[in-house]
Amino acid sequence: MTSVATTHVPAGHGHFGGLVWTLIRTDFKTRYHGTVGGFVWALLKPLTMFLVLLAVFSYVFASEPQYRLDLIIGLFLYEFFQEATKSGLLSLRAKGYLLTKARFPSWVVVVTSASNAAVTLALFSVVLLVFLALSGRAPTASAVALYAVYQLHYLAIVTGFSLAASVLFMRFRDLNQVWEVVTHAGFFVAPIIYPLGILPERMHGWLYLWPPTPIILFSRSVLVDGRVPSALAHALLTVEAVGILAIGALVYRARAPRVAEYL
Amino acid sequence: MGPVIEARGICKSFSIPSVRRETVREHALDFFRPRPHERLRVLEDVGFELRRGESLGIMGRNGSGKSTLLKIVAGIYAPDAGTLAVHAPLTPILELGVGWNPDLDAIDNIELLGTVMGMSLRELRTATQDILAFAELERFAHLELRHYSSGMAARLAYAVAFRAVRDVLILDEIFAVGDAGFKERCQGRYRDLHRAGHSMLLVSHEPRTIATFCKRALLLDHGRIVMDGPSAAVADRYLMLLTEAPAEHAPAAAI
Repeated sequence: MTSVATTHVPAGHGHFGGLVWTLIRTDFKTRYHGTVGGFVWALLKPLTMFLVLLAVFSYVFASEPQYRLDLIIGLFLYEFFQEATKSGLLSLRAKGYLLTKARFPSWVVVVTSASNAAVTLALFSVVLLVFLALSGRAPTASAVALYAVYQLHYLAIVTGFSLAASVLFMRFRDLNQVWEVVTHAGFFVAPIIYPLGILPERMHGWLYLWPPTPIILFSRSVLVDGRVPSALAHALLTVEAVGILAIGALVYRARAPRVAEYL
Repeated sequence: MGPVIEARGICKSFSIPSVRRETVREHALDFFRPRPHERLRVLEDVGFELRRGESLGIMGRNGSGKSTLLKIVAGIYAPDAGTLAVHAPLTPILELGVGWNPDLDAIDNIELLGTVMGMSLRELRTATQDILAFAELERFAHLELRHYSSGMAARLAYAVAFRAVRDVLILDEIFAVGDAGFKERCQGRYRDLHRAGHSMLLVSHEPRTIATFCKRALLLDHGRIVMDGPSAAVADRYLMLLTEAPAEHAPAAAI
């Protein structure tokens, strides 16, 4: 039987905030080419997309203003899920050049990979809330707070997935393609373009297992319908988010020590 | 004074499959097909100590396990067996010639690499001009790394790493980069750090480098330490090893 024991004194990562901030800032800069135009576009993208979708859906679904808003919320929240999970899955390989340079908490690379998508989601949320207020349907403070809590759950889910997928991607080089197919199919599993009610009730539980489903439905419920989901529904969402985060962290912990060997 | 690095019985091998399966599709389609693996032993029962303030050289032929050993000591690879205790913060300078974000300029890349190596943003902001000056790249500070030559990129990396040094410095072929002037600056910085009491672990193929900068050295061959002694004697033994016929078993590759 072999025994392994390694101990290292940390190399100054007490400056953890600096590492996190630099990873987020450079990701943002890489994506928008560090130009003023790129930065302005990053801010305007959610607003312009919101206005375009609103204009189109106002014409196509003129008689159903409720459906129009439901659709926009569903599309934006699902796009966040697609973008953030894709970035998370690719994160370790994309930053592989750092992993072979020094010993540092590499999970930070995975966790910060969703920052671009999170900024877009935050800006969309502001645009949505302003629109609701201007159209005389301002949600209550508690509804906004609940919406924020749902997004934190969403971040936990995305982080859990990213932790597991990023290390598995080092071994399975086509995992990104598989995940792309899954998220495309998942678009139709989540009730984005159709109301959940058109499906038999016995299927609802299964659909809720697909993480974007409860987030989208609960967000619509508190912001558009003014209804708060039950305590049981909230508890189940928390269990789902914490479960995915825990599984992701366990998979990451098991495989991360060997990640550099696959680079 | 106690050692800053203690390694005992370090073993490392890599599993090399006869057929590589790297995708979900390949794993699914070939699930029931046997896939023999060959174990490539890279390090076998390696043990050494690095004392505080000491400069220890490591020599060995290509594939003898030097780079793998450095990566294990740096915490980048995990050993299969053995114990490793590193009692002081260390800064590895490994594979620095490659791997930057090509879409960012030198200043952003300095910040990225510096924070990964444990520097604070405040330290980095005050050191940025010195780092650029050390690498002689002040004029190209705002140029994206995609436009740098490999030599410029390597100089920038070494400049960052030399500035990020904490206590123990791990160097892999450090003096093989850049022109004569840059090599001279690297050597000067190395001597300054050594005089300041930093401990050094230095890998090189160059006997003169090991004999000049280290008092003691290890000689690795086929993943084992075959000599631990004065650096000049180890350098001589290394030169003899190069002229000997290769052993029957193939040398392990550093992965």
